[in-house]
Amino acid sequence: MPQTRQYPAEVLLHRRAGGEYFRLVLRAPALAASAVPGQFVMLRVSENRDPLLARPFGIASVVSRKDIVLYYRVAGRGTTLLTTVRPGQRLGLLGPLGKGFPVPEKGTTPLLIAGGSGFPPLLFFTARYGKRARLFVGSRDKACLPPSGVMKDFRSRVLGIHYATEDGSCGTCGFVTDALAAFMDRPDRFGRPVIYACGPHPMLAAVSRLAADRNIPCYISMEARMACGLGVCMGCSVPVASGGYKRVCKEGPVFDSREISWSGPVSLQLRKAECGVRNEE
Amino acid sequence: MKNRANAEIRDPKSAWKKPDLSVKFAGIRLKNPVLTASGTFGYGEEFRDIIDLNRLGGIIVKGVSLRPIIGNPPPRIWETPSGMLNAIGLENPGVDVFLNAKLPSLRKLDTAVIVNIFGYSVDDYVAVAEQLDGAPGVAGLEVNISCPNVKSGGIVFGTNLKAASELLSAVRRATRLPVIAKLSPNVTDITEFARAAEGAGCNGLSLINTLLGMAIDVRSRRPRLANCTGGLSGPAIRPVAVRMVWQAARAVKIPIIGMGGILTAEDALEFILAGASAVAIGTGNFVNPAATLEVVEGIRAFLEHEGAGSVRELVGQVRTA
Repeated sequence: MPQTRQYPAEVLLHRRAGGEYFRLVLRAPALAASAVPGQFVMLRVSENRDPLLARPFGIASVVSRKDIVLYYRVAGRGTTLLTTVRPGQRLGLLGPLGKGFPVPEKGTTPLLIAGGSGFPPLLFFTARYGKRARLFVGSRDKACLPPSGVMKDFRSRVLGIHYATEDGSCGTCGFVTDALAAFMDRPDRFGRPVIYACGPHPMLAAVSRLAADRNIPCYISMEARMACGLGVCMGCSVPVASGGYKRVCKEGPVFDSREISWSGPVSLQLRKAECGVRNEE
Repeated sequence: MKNRANAEIRDPKSAWKKPDLSVKFAGIRLKNPVLTASGTFGYGEEFRDIIDLNRLGGIIVKGVSLRPIIGNPPPRIWETPSGMLNAIGLENPGVDVFLNAKLPSLRKLDTAVIVNIFGYSVDDYVAVAEQLDGAPGVAGLEVNISCPNVKSGGIVFGTNLKAASELLSAVRRATRLPVIAKLSPNVTDITEFARAAEGAGCNGLSLINTLLGMAIDVRSRRPRLANCTGGLSGPAIRPVAVRMVWQAARAVKIPIIGMGGILTAEDALEFILAGASAVAIGTGNFVNPAATLEVVEGIRAFLEHEGAGSVRELVGQVRTA
């Protein structure tokens, strides 16, 4: 198990990445060396007491085993403040946290589903085990798609990319799950498919249903508001099928989709989840 | 101003010695006055990688009940200005699991372990207290009285003087361990409850628990928490907590653990000057997992700077005249 540490992490790079997204590079050597795809960090966006809590971000990539890359878009007060951070500044960083994606088995075809700003953990996934993967990217409209630099990285790592936008401004018009279903119905697919998804809660619910209907293994990276990221505040718990709750920060954020109780009240409440950033509006 | 908790005459040589951070609280020896507040530190295991738990004055563990409790549906937390609301629902694995799975590793630590207990009837509390009595490694009990008594119409023990007295007396009789009453701040006059706890034979007080609060999403017109209301914690409540500690300290002789929004040593020292013999870090652990140890070092540095020989010299020394 990689050890979780707390850092005053130096900001190395911070700039607009295209579209609505910002790219933030932080120096955190031990964290970068031990993090696995699907894990996240808690980042304090300010030294002040308001906003009080750190924000959780999925790790998008690791550079030279020393630095980590995060992507975010402005979704509330915390991320608004974060945009003002300059290279050279140090931010409180805690990680790596949570349980990552299971390593794909030989002979499987990973089907990656990225909804909205849920692409960062999947970008990290493709860096480690992308070769045979296919990516499905969905968003509201073209502007909300991952930045072009990210898409370039994805293109160089995966076998194919399928786009879906709700307004039809890019790729298939409709939900990313429709594009996924259409692909699954094609006769020429190869390998045993395994789904890895990150995105808003309704998308994860739809992907999980599709996976259950077709009896395909499905791993989802969940989002929740959280205070500590360490498993002690119990604020991020989600209802599970076996009864009771599990902590997104500790037992997750990656769950086998069959573990989650999708009919629970959480689906209503996490309606506006913004992927990668879980503590914002 | 009454000088509380074993104040010592200032020794002129003390300025050259390393300041003494140890305190004896309600019969419990603490190597320093900094504890973790219940429900913000789990059972210690999650922090093991990040800080040296042996350097803590003590750990007040997450509330333990007679039977496991699964907790409230989400959303359970909401961030507020300089604070947060929570309605976790006291999720915990129950006293049996605590004794068998959590306590064995806790008792190996070189720090005081205080077990927070709660229930929904006097019998519940008494049963948990009895099970913990004599358990090796338990230094004391902290009794969360901010729970409804389901056997008397759901009245909250901690906001009704008679119910609070009866409950605390019953727990006091059920155990030989030091009993610390964690008072609810959701009352008009905290001194009445502080006196009631002292009268019931409690050995110490913890204050404050969270303040009852609420937040609403104006667009959906729904409460931010599934439970509608929740407990407010964090720096937002600190002035209220300091005031209540100050009032309670003047009303009773038993020592007080002060808590409510402490993030730094300076925050902690406010409570100590107000009359707290020890302090607990709660929400601060979420913001900075090393907050407890930074507070310990900060208090040490303050004592050195002030030339004080012991942290005990500062207890209740706010200059109000």
